[in-house]
Amino acid sequence: MEIHLNRVDYIQVGVTSQKTMRLLPAVGKKATQKVAIADHDGILMCFGMKKGEAVPVFKTLPGPKVARMDLGGAVGTPQEKIFVCSGSQVRGFTKKGKQFLTFDANLTESINAMHVSGADLFVCASYIYNHYCDCKDQDYFLSGDKINDITCLSSEKLSCLTPVLACQDRVLRVLQGSELAYDIEVPGPPSVLELFNKDGGDEVLYGTTDGKIGLIQIGDSSAVTKWEIDNDKKKGGILCVDTYDIIGDGVSDILVGRDDGTVEIFSFDSSNEPTLRFEHVLSESVTSIQGGCVGKESYDEILTATYTGWVTGLTTDPQKAEAGPGDEVKMSKETQSKIESLRAELEQLQVKVLQGREQYQQTSQSSTAVSAVPVFSINDKFTLSQDDASYSLTLEVQTAIDNLLLQSDVPIDLLDVDKNSAVVSFSECDSEPNGNFLLATYRCQANTTRLELKVRSIEGQYGTLQAYVTPRLQPKTCQVRQYQIKPLSLHQRMHSIDPDRPMNKLSLVGQLSFAEIHSWVVFCLPEVPEKTPAGDSVTFYFHNTFLGTQLEATYCKGEGHFKSDNISTISILSDVLSKEATKKKINVNMSYDINDESVSHTLRMIHPKLEYQLLLARKVQLVDALKELQVHEGNADFLIPEYRSILDESANLLEEYKKQPAHLERLYGMITDLFIDKFKFKGQNVKTKVSSLLEILDNYDLNSLLDFFNDP
Amino acid sequence: MMVPIFTLKLNHKINPRMVAVGKFDGVHPCLTAATQAGKVFIHNPHGRAQRPGAHCLSQSAQDSDVSLLNINQAVTCLTAGTLGPNTTGDTLLVGSQTNLLAYDVHDNADIFYREVSDGANAIVLGKLGDISSPLAIIGGNCALQGFDYTGNDHFWTVTGDNVRSLVLCDFTGDGKNELLVGSEDFDIRVFREDELVSEMTENETVTSLCHMHGSRFGYALANGTVGVYDRTARYWRIKSKNHAMSIHAFDLNADGVVELITGWSNGKIDARSDRTGEVIFKDNFSSSVAGVVEGDYRLDGQKQLICASTEGEVRGYLPASKDLKGNLMDSSAEQDLVRELSQRRQNLLLELRNYEENAKGAPQTHSGMGVIPANTQLQTALSVRPATEAQKAHVELSISTPNETIIRAVLIFAEGIFEGESHVVHPSVQNLSGCVRVPIVPPKDIPVDLHIKAFVGGKTSTQFHVFEITRQLPRFSMYELTDESSAPQPAGRVSFSINDRAQRVVMWLNQNFLLPEGAESPNVTFNSLRGSGLMSFNMAANGQVTLRTDDIDLAGDLVQSLTSFLAIEDLSAEADFPAYFEELRATLTEVDEFHAVHQKLTAEMADHSNYIRNMLVQAEDARLMSDMTSMKKRYRELYDLNRDLINEYKIRSNNHNALLVRLKSVNQAIQRAGRLRVGKPKNQVIAACRDAIKSNNVNALFRIMRAGAASS
Repeated sequence: MEIHLNRVDYIQVGVTSQKTMRLLPAVGKKATQKVAIADHDGILMCFGMKKGEAVPVFKTLPGPKVARMDLGGAVGTPQEKIFVCSGSQVRGFTKKGKQFLTFDANLTESINAMHVSGADLFVCASYIYNHYCDCKDQDYFLSGDKINDITCLSSEKLSCLTPVLACQDRVLRVLQGSELAYDIEVPGPPSVLELFNKDGGDEVLYGTTDGKIGLIQIGDSSAVTKWEIDNDKKKGGILCVDTYDIIGDGVSDILVGRDDGTVEIFSFDSSNEPTLRFEHVLSESVTSIQGGCVGKESYDEILTATYTGWVTGLTTDPQKAEAGPGDEVKMSKETQSKIESLRAELEQLQVKVLQGREQYQQTSQSSTAVSAVPVFSINDKFTLSQDDASYSLTLEVQTAIDNLLLQSDVPIDLLDVDKNSAVVSFSECDSEPNGNFLLATYRCQANTTRLELKVRSIEGQYGTLQAYVTPRLQPKTCQVRQYQIKPLSLHQRMHSIDPDRPMNKLSLVGQLSFAEIHSWVVFCLPEVPEKTPAGDSVTFYFHNTFLGTQLEATYCKGEGHFKSDNISTISILSDVLSKEATKKKINVNMSYDINDESVSHTLRMIHPKLEYQLLLARKVQLVDALKELQVHEGNADFLIPEYRSILDESANLLEEYKKQPAHLERLYGMITDLFIDKFKFKGQNVKTKVSSLLEILDNYDLNSLLDFFNDP
Repeated sequence: MMVPIFTLKLNHKINPRMVAVGKFDGVHPCLTAATQAGKVFIHNPHGRAQRPGAHCLSQSAQDSDVSLLNINQAVTCLTAGTLGPNTTGDTLLVGSQTNLLAYDVHDNADIFYREVSDGANAIVLGKLGDISSPLAIIGGNCALQGFDYTGNDHFWTVTGDNVRSLVLCDFTGDGKNELLVGSEDFDIRVFREDELVSEMTENETVTSLCHMHGSRFGYALANGTVGVYDRTARYWRIKSKNHAMSIHAFDLNADGVVELITGWSNGKIDARSDRTGEVIFKDNFSSSVAGVVEGDYRLDGQKQLICASTEGEVRGYLPASKDLKGNLMDSSAEQDLVRELSQRRQNLLLELRNYEENAKGAPQTHSGMGVIPANTQLQTALSVRPATEAQKAHVELSISTPNETIIRAVLIFAEGIFEGESHVVHPSVQNLSGCVRVPIVPPKDIPVDLHIKAFVGGKTSTQFHVFEITRQLPRFSMYELTDESSAPQPAGRVSFSINDRAQRVVMWLNQNFLLPEGAESPNVTFNSLRGSGLMSFNMAANGQVTLRTDDIDLAGDLVQSLTSFLAIEDLSAEADFPAYFEELRATLTEVDEFHAVHQKLTAEMADHSNYIRNMLVQAEDARLMSDMTSMKKRYRELYDLNRDLINEYKIRSNNHNALLVRLKSVNQAIQRAGRLRVGKPKNQVIAACRDAIKSNNVNALFRIMRAGAASS
């Protein structure tokens, strides 16, 4: 069954955080629901739709920015009390807008996730979890990594309320009181949790920052993964999920909102597997999503809130599409009046703004006045994408971006992104004396509020990437954002590694505190929590997203051990660590245990990739010539089957080739590094032999390469 | 939402910009396009019965609707239309680097086949000025040539650089067509027959031109810009990161006014309103668009817009029916309006908030906000800097703040003087100061607007104020005033007399040169920073102006700039550039030599091919007689001969390329001699030079270049 949903824009508020819009339960016979939304200006607003116009029920005064919203109420009654958190404070409002609760959690950090269930309040602030019952402190937990979201299960099967934390280190933590019951490993850093069944149950939906969704059944002592949806099409990360039967087949569907503006509906087929049924792309991050009925009675819809505060419905109401051909399609009265009022408001604002401008101009005459423009909010994300081992940078601003300046003090490549329509221009760089390796400007088309870029880094070269964002807003200001390119930038956290591989070891012993050595690890590797872990020692596992090699880092006070099957990884680590130690004037002893077997092992791991790439490059080279032959001869029957198959799949080959620009060069670079590093540990400098290595690579054969590595 | 009414997959690659529709039998339109391997294919889905079966037109085995025409040379341009006075169908015209072929597809016969030494980069068919018969006008290396149906050239003139695009359009509104020429020196020139009427300077190679209606025409540049001109005034332009492959005028929304249809390199097709550039329709192909044409391809009396991609996919679009009301996109207009108004309201609100917050005064706590004194004003200055040991000669733009604030970065957006569209200066943290010096080296003598954006703030700020300033760089900025009267004067000179006051000339000097104090008298000497020596400007009391420089291009630029400033319509001049003329004389001798070599090589090739024929017969005879030894011998000889032929071909093509370079410089010489004059004298000089070259009278050529055409 096809599903058609029409887009309706309802209202625009300020910038919104993740999960800050909810629908209040329908009251009595009235079928349409009210919407509660809170934004960064601290305004909580509740509105309903009347004849296509948003009519506010109440609106609070501005305050500190609202990070989360949840609905609650006594058990057994409609969940229509609104709870919002801002800073370390939680406030409760009735559906009429009366504030009945102000509760200060007394946390040093601001709350970023919250869940309300009856008289129980669960809040999380970066690493800390707190449980209050009737505003009295109950439980407390310190997580190993940042907490992104929280939900709470209450089921007959489980003994009591069971909170589940979504933590940045790719783990869901299930708590029991103040204790960790157990961990659940998920395929990416989870960003959002939602109960699969709103009335309870023991199933939890999660979404990850790299765009995966899954369902997990939580038990008393263990959990079962029911299903997972991969992110093959490389859509954005998940920001919000909800369940609602929008298709109307009696089974709840899954509604998903992503940070690239995609809204999706998954429904379940007969075998209970989720399948994608509908997709719509809004132009900016979808921060909240919920199914319900808002605009028109008896028409279900999906209500979304986006980063810049648009509340948009995707409704089953067919709109005026049914106005038959030939009919004069007139603007409906409601829209007309809406436009009228908007225009009137605009005119008033224009006058005010002109006054403001004048005053601002006048201050420029005075010698004592200062110009201080408030900081505008930028929603940015800098993540390593596993598939092509490159970083993707997304920037989102509440108004249109005018231009973006990218500056980097390390050599990086900027890749073209199809979605990005801005005109890029590279400027000449002077690495001396200003240390610029990349200077690029993006001039955006009108109405671009979101920009996506891709950046490719080289392991071992580390520094900072800076983005200067200038929005189209008077008085013009620009804001700089910094992103660290770490020495081992292509590594990603894992849950475990394969212990059977031959490993090289780097050991480090010295007068070091645990915090110091942890800060070094944070400096070298991505996805490590900044906070020093609890306990005496800690172990992290990583894998190289490009080559698939792995790294184990174990360290405690006074010593650290790093094991990797890739000798280059060890080499980079030793370089960076000794540099850091010298900088801090700490005496450190480093010892290596190099396993020669590991080099050929790594080469064997690279082999299939390299062979595939070489073959692909060769085939792609032939495509044009073969096509010409085909045209010349009229058909391709005379060709040998190998060539015919190239012709048949030429489209796929070309696409594949286009997807991985410079893949081969990167592999060559890594093999060269491997070669140099292997002999560096033996105390030999083989840089002069690199040219003969490249010769061997040009006529690639695994055995001759292995021989060359053993005896150059 | 509009959808294509037909889609074809032709299975032939299509070369970009080489697509045309022709009614070769007078009735049925056929899509004709150049494909790989020097072939042209003709797609004729209508007349299946009549098949011209002959030597060069062969049936494609893959597709019965497609016939292939062998050109055996890389096709460079192609068009179809009425050329002869009483032919039934359209004539197909195919241009290559050396030849122009007019071909009657219906009768399968050549109409004419002409050698064109300047190549044919672009072609247009139609009536020009008062010339009675339609002409096929080709544009090659600096030259334009028009042929009638008998193959005689009725039209010849030169232009500034290699021609990339041509269109016929009634530019002046006199009821007769003018020829618009887009060339690689970024100029669009308008010719009324061989008189240059007008000249518009763009900032990249002009790759496509198309006539819209009246005197309005569309253009596309190699850097992704498309736009619309009405006469010499630009209506609008937009720039994309993709390249415009083909532009065409077509009334897609059936409102009686044509839209500019653009096919892009990323496969996008869009239709833009001719007045505003607003997109009214878009669609996507999977590969780059090769051409956009129109024709009644379904034979139902309605013209369709036909778009073809490089992979051979063809789509046809019918103009929108009345029901769509010109709304070809799928989102509804009023939704968009509401959204746009709301967005504007949001922007105004944000701006207002900026002023309010600013008025409140800066909070002392936030140091990153970038508070600056309100009276901060940026000072900019342009000055000429001669070459030093450390730096090449350049124009220096210095930007400074009057107080302790620093300039974090400077972005300069300008057209045509940087590699991309922008230049960035981003000092490292140690080198931050309140003053930034930007060296600028404009590659050509053009006036440029520098759009400067400077990020001003404190040393630790994360948010900066953006100062936007526009400065104009004068046309002749790379010339430094000197008073070296002792140095020898350049030998080259132009002299002419003008009827204007000296003050006006001084004004022109001040506007077009970077003079530190401003000039007082019109007698000045400059030193070129590009290393072309001295340039002196003298004006006697009787209005006699003498320009001394060895650079004939510079002299031409100065004459053109001065005359347009003083609004002089006709100007004849005497000139002498001994060095340049000597060079030209050498070039002309070389042209003769290359011609001679060319003839000799052609004769040799004919010998060889005879020899091959003989050898092949002998070898086959030997095979039939089972004399394997002599057959092998013959084939070996044949192989050797073949190799010789290939070598000879290489020599020939090198010879040809060298010849082309010489011919181009000869054409440029004529153009340069013309540019020393204005109006009628200019055209006379060009025409006379051409005659001199035709009659191979070198001395007359130089006499004309020196003294102008009137005296000859």
